[in-house]
Amino acid sequence: MSRLRIFFSSAIFAFRAQFEWLNPTMWLTMKFVISLSQMAFFVFVGLFIKGPSAIPFIAIGNALQSVSWNTVFSIINITSNDKWGGTLSILLATPAGRLPIFIGRAMIHVLDGILSVTISLVFASLLFGVNFGQANALALTITVLLTAFTMTGYGLLIGGFSFYFRDPLIFANIFTFILLIFCGVNFPVQDLPQPVQAVSYAFPLTYGVEAARRAIDGGTLFDISGLLGSQLLVGLVSMMLGYFFFRSFERVARKTGRIEAV
Amino acid sequence: MKAEGDMPKMPQALKVVYSAFRMAMLHWIADPQWVIPNIIAPFVFTTVALTLFKGSTGPFGLYAILGGGIMGMWGNTLYSSGFAIEFEKWQGTLEEVMAAPSKLILVIAGRSASNAVFGLTNMAAVLLIAVLGFRVPLGIENPLLFIVALILTLLSLSALGLIFASAFVLSRSAQALTNGLETPLYIISGSMFPVALLPFWIHPAAYILGPTWGVDAIRLTASQEYASQTFWTGMGTNLAIILDLAVMVLITLAYVVIATVLFKMVEKRARIQGTLVEA
Amino acid sequence: MIKQRAQHGHATGKAIIAEHLCKVFNITKGTLRRTKTQVVAVKDVSFEVDYGELFGVVGPNGAGKTTTIKLLTTMLIPTSGRATVLGYDIQRDVTKIRERIGIVLGGERGLYTRVSAIDNLRYFADLYGVPADVRDKRIKELLQFMGLSERARDRVETYSKGMKQRLHLARGLINDPDLIFMDEPTIGLDPEIARETRKMIKELVEKGKTILLTTHYMFEAEELCKRVAIIRSGEIVALDTPSGLKKYVMDTSVVEVEGFGITEKEVARFKEISDVLSVSADLGENKQILKIQTSKGSEIISEVQEILKNSRIYDIKIKEPTLEDAYLRLVES
Repeated sequence: MSRLRIFFSSAIFAFRAQFEWLNPTMWLTMKFVISLSQMAFFVFVGLFIKGPSAIPFIAIGNALQSVSWNTVFSIINITSNDKWGGTLSILLATPAGRLPIFIGRAMIHVLDGILSVTISLVFASLLFGVNFGQANALALTITVLLTAFTMTGYGLLIGGFSFYFRDPLIFANIFTFILLIFCGVNFPVQDLPQPVQAVSYAFPLTYGVEAARRAIDGGTLFDISGLLGSQLLVGLVSMMLGYFFFRSFERVARKTGRIEAV
Repeated sequence: MKAEGDMPKMPQALKVVYSAFRMAMLHWIADPQWVIPNIIAPFVFTTVALTLFKGSTGPFGLYAILGGGIMGMWGNTLYSSGFAIEFEKWQGTLEEVMAAPSKLILVIAGRSASNAVFGLTNMAAVLLIAVLGFRVPLGIENPLLFIVALILTLLSLSALGLIFASAFVLSRSAQALTNGLETPLYIISGSMFPVALLPFWIHPAAYILGPTWGVDAIRLTASQEYASQTFWTGMGTNLAIILDLAVMVLITLAYVVIATVLFKMVEKRARIQGTLVEA
Repeated sequence: MIKQRAQHGHATGKAIIAEHLCKVFNITKGTLRRTKTQVVAVKDVSFEVDYGELFGVVGPNGAGKTTTIKLLTTMLIPTSGRATVLGYDIQRDVTKIRERIGIVLGGERGLYTRVSAIDNLRYFADLYGVPADVRDKRIKELLQFMGLSERARDRVETYSKGMKQRLHLARGLINDPDLIFMDEPTIGLDPEIARETRKMIKELVEKGKTILLTTHYMFEAEELCKRVAIIRSGEIVALDTPSGLKKYVMDTSVVEVEGFGITEKEVARFKEISDVLSVSADLGENKQILKIQTSKGSEIISEVQEILKNSRIYDIKIKEPTLEDAYLRLVES
């Protein structure tokens, strides 16, 4: 099987796997209702505590964070479905190259993530009055693409080591929601206690959120290149680590003969 | 739990509710980790709120803590009560339970009540974070009314849980929407900010939720500062609390009526189509 | 119509009266293209059971045994037909029936595995409205009767299959029912445990209980039941005592042939012989066994030798027809 074919069939597989777990109603719900209501929730909290000036900051932050449902949450659930559904052993039994499988499946999440963020940004503009008048379209587009891509890497990383644990749903929840605290989504990273701030920079989303804010304010690609570069680096490292976990899990499974329901 | 034989005579219906409640508690003790997914979101949301609140003045700490607690109870109601009947199916006990002479609604009511109570653990966790991590000052002005309001709110949540439990069995798409309902409920119920802040057309949705009134009452019992933001501005605090609770009780009774109808539908479907009782 | 009941064993009327019970399920399949089919689980079932009787319902999988039990225990509403259980109507007096019967559905489910036996029994006792003072005493007695007293406080998930089965049985007796429905109670059990379960069932009947039992083991029906109804495709094809049922096959004998080298071809040839009513074959790798039901009796042996002349014959036996043979005949004809 050529690598390209594996890549595409993995992508289609991931697409269908996504629909098996998320039936169409649920997929639509996630796309629209969850992202919107989360953004609304924090916008109102921000409005209540800090006043109207907080709205754009929070709306944009949550718009970018909405990528995590399709990247982080979905990936962890699907990899665990594989494990529990028993298909993982079948997958690992094939001679197909691992990397194309790995990346192919990830691609569908990237596309889905881009869609989510786009829809959320539209909400931000229409419902919460975020002003896109001065936005730099190119910079913003690249930011969104890169954020979706790198957050998929993050998702693969968490999905990778959640193989070792029995309750991936807890992981999926934790690692999707903590982004709200650490990534400068609802408040600047600087508002976190000093010692904790370093953690924020391990998440690709942190860079993406900041870059998006600058792009919407009119910043050019050049202005945000530093951020994007760091984001790309963190994202690639995550993806590599995720791949490493995936392969090492396979080795462990081969040795101990245990895959399902570890 | 004390030894067997310690229960005074109770009407049979209450006995069933209590027995189901006890069974749910036993399951929780056996598997405490299942509450975790339900409480992560409220926990995180509260932390965000508390961080935003740092350095501001106003009763935000109150909102954050109570809000976090209420959100945890909502989460439990939605997921655990919503899936209460499904739980029996997964355990393989649904047929036996439905074959018993006791009404299914009583059994699920017991479970639903236990879920609302579990939500209290969320409030405790949130409290801990707020006091230790964010140094929010604690103080409840009217502890007795606070407890009364809390208990009545729990009852209202349980009744709503009954509606979820039956609706989720009657309709597959209702189940799929669970994930989407969580955050909207947090918003509409005014758990972390006053309902007044929301666009006016959402207000009716807020008002038909019993717990919204309960939360308002709880905040009133906790702090005078809140008095300016309650639904009943201009009236005395105590009167406002009583009005809140009265409205909530009425709404809860309506929930019970709706739930009774829904459960009759569930049982009818089980006995005619046999679908609920398939393994 | 409410019949009078005095004490157990002296009740008048019938424990169960089923009249033309019928249950049709409407099944809708598929998400995009919805197809509707009707499944007739029970077509027309009528029978009566006396108090104190151990009544058996036997049939292949899918014959309608479980559905019949569910109809009689009010778990399902019939599409048509009526029935009374302990004198109460299955549609009008649902709660009264449920309070007074025991249901043992078999298998390993029906128990909360994460809690103890005592908690399970206590819970169901409450669901069945057993008064608190009676409840605890009865739980103790039941656990003793089932040999579970020592492990009563352990979680059910730590129990062996046999123990779970016994607990399941105990749960079915928690309300001290006079009438107990058991759906395939020994299915999937080790022979040892199955034997013990049958012993317990007999003991219950000796105590005066009425039991309706379904099974697809004929020998079990023969051993336990006073009368047996054979059900096939939702209808009762025969209802009699075990010896009465055997009369269906009295005119036949079963010739059992054990050999090697017997193939489907030979089996087919046997089936073609007139006076051969049925042939069941167990064609293993090292040995094949044929059971030929025939009215010819020993006369068929020469034909056996002729057809099997290219195979090795180890043994030929002629046997008295059993209930199993009657069953096969009735079910497969």
